[in-house]
Amino acid sequence: MEAFRFNPSAPSIIVPARLLGPRGVRWVDLILDTGSTSTVIDELVAQRLGYKLEAVPSVQVTTASGIAQASVIPMRQLLALGETVTDLSVLAMPLPLQLRADGLLGLDFLRRRNLFCNFSRGILLTLPFAQNFGQRCLAAACLFSAS
Amino acid sequence: MGEPKPEPIEQLRQRYKDEWLLIKVTKHDRKGLPSEGVLLLHSPDRKAVWAMTENVDGELYVCFAGSTVPEGWEAVLHGSVSL
Repeated sequence: MEAFRFNPSAPSIIVPARLLGPRGVRWVDLILDTGSTSTVIDELVAQRLGYKLEAVPSVQVTTASGIAQASVIPMRQLLALGETVTDLSVLAMPLPLQLRADGLLGLDFLRRRNLFCNFSRGILLTLPFAQNFGQRCLAAACLFSAS
Repeated sequence: MGEPKPEPIEQLRQRYKDEWLLIKVTKHDRKGLPSEGVLLLHSPDRKAVWAMTENVDGELYVCFAGSTVPEGWEAVLHGSVSL
């Protein structure tokens, strides 16, 4: 069981994420986005991590405001919320300048664990899919009931 | 002039409100998240901060010290892939 704090009064849930690319390790802040099917990073970040966007396949992405094009990069490793994923396909595309985060943590990453959110206290809890799930839920309930 | 000392990242965020920060991570908390580091650059210009990462080795943290959307704005995200 892993518990993480976030600012419950902030407009977004920010998750620090450790990205490993050809040029090394970079920590960035990603916005937790259950509406996004894929994890996305800004294309500038992908380039600075050492990915060559012209050498990877691209896909079409439907967004809230229309259709866009994104590069699919093979992220060597992504660590967030206590979960490490290697060789994750991550989308790289230009994000709006007004968005002050370097990407979105999408469902392709999030659905690897059970995820619980306490919005009033600003706690995210992740639980691996495990046999003793009931016990883990009990621990979660204790954590969430404490004020 | 000596090397700058590592500081708690939360302290750096408070000091440079509404700026992008480039931090060389020197310490992690018990969950493995960056907790202390040396501030290498602070700027309102995100591109300038990311450009600086080209010239520095080590474990780097780029973050914005403030709200994810400017005051008066809302963010409507979401995206799905069509192959």
